Amino acid sequence: MNNITIVVAEASYLIQKGLDAILKKLGDNQVVQKMDSTESLLESLSSLKPNILILNPSLFNGDFKLLKKECAKLESCKLVVLSSDRRDESKYSADAFLHYNDDQSKIFACLESLKDELIKTNKEEKSDEPISAREKNILKHIALGLTNKEIADKLFISIHTVVTHRKNITQKLGIKSVSGLTVYAILNNLIEMDEVK
Amino acid sequence: MRITKDMKMADVIQMNYMLIPVIYRFGINLGFGDKSVIEICEETNVDLNFFLQMVNTYHDKDYFPKEELQSIPSKDIVTYLKMTHSSYLNEKLSEIEDLIEALQHTETEDEKYILLIRNFYEGYKNELTEHIMHEEEVVFPYVLTVEEICKAGVISEKNQKIYDSFSILKYQDAHDDVEEKLMDLKTIMIKYLTPPLNTNLYHKIIQLLFMLEQDLSYHARIEDKVLLPKMIAMEKIITELN
Repeated sequence: MNNITIVVAEASYLIQKGLDAILKKLGDNQVVQKMDSTESLLESLSSLKPNILILNPSLFNGDFKLLKKECAKLESCKLVVLSSDRRDESKYSADAFLHYNDDQSKIFACLESLKDELIKTNKEEKSDEPISAREKNILKHIALGLTNKEIADKLFISIHTVVTHRKNITQKLGIKSVSGLTVYAILNNLIEMDEVK
Repeated sequence: MRITKDMKMADVIQMNYMLIPVIYRFGINLGFGDKSVIEICEETNVDLNFFLQMVNTYHDKDYFPKEELQSIPSKDIVTYLKMTHSSYLNEKLSEIEDLIEALQHTETEDEKYILLIRNFYEGYKNELTEHIMHEEEVVFPYVLTVEEICKAGVISEKNQKIYDSFSILKYQDAHDDVEEKLMDLKTIMIKYLTPPLNTNLYHKIIQLLFMLEQDLSYHARIEDKVLLPKMIAMEKIITELN
């Protein structure tokens, strides 16, 4: 899963749309939101939790420091300054700088490298790994129709641990519903078909 | 590209074949020759504005004319949603079911796994049907009543009863579960099941599931983004009436 949320804060409609088109080419699943006032941006930052914030500092002249601080509060959020003024690069310290005149390859290279960094720091999510033996055991009990509490009692672990395992299983397999997990369990011989109620 | 009233209806369909079932729900059938969108709408007594908003919403996922759609009476939106429901219940769901059943008959070795898929699909179908029936029997009558109350400015005894029996807030969180199951089914078929010998049929089922999912998501978009805010606003007016 490389679900990256990118927020673009830029006043020009043309640039917004252009950037939108470029960002769509960059990866499969990303949400792009556009804000145009400091208040609405600050408000939405905490709820959107962007991984990359592309910002035109001319929109937020005096507030840049504040924005940067807000950005730092978020887990793994990269700040990109977008501007028509080369001097902005040194003026604002951000993770990356994009100029209006940058060509396609430069823009791609910049965003790709940010994305790679993000993926590296998010490695704990382990979405590609197969499920562990412990998780298999939990999955088996889910498929048999046991509740979180019943599983916890049976395996002598806390409900919280069961919930965490469940979350990881769902994330790794890409299956959310109990009946979907049951089908997976049967396909992988964790349980027999006639064990299912 | 935005669909406009002066375009030829045939060109609209050439541009996006996914619109065939959409226009059919308006009672418009193929075979339109060179007639334009506006001509066809006049012929079939379809509200042009509503038609254009709907096809554009389906056609372009970034197009969402909330305000224009908000101006359309709930009654018309409900009529449209009901048509969509009946197309799910009477056509789409059974079409996929028939194919899964056919798959089960052609396979001997993997029969057990096809049965799993079939049972899963049955479960999904029942859940979706239940969801649709709930909307038809509870939500839509409520929507129509609320609109009636707002128009009249007074609440009759009969309407008061319906009004008290439900609130649109109860409806808001009901959508996700059904979508989840459909996504799981696709994931299982794509990632985890060894494809049966009849790959042709198998691929077709997966493609139909994708199409159903897309159609449902547009359907849900109209409900969540148009009908719901409309209802919230109307409920507010009624509370002020009391």
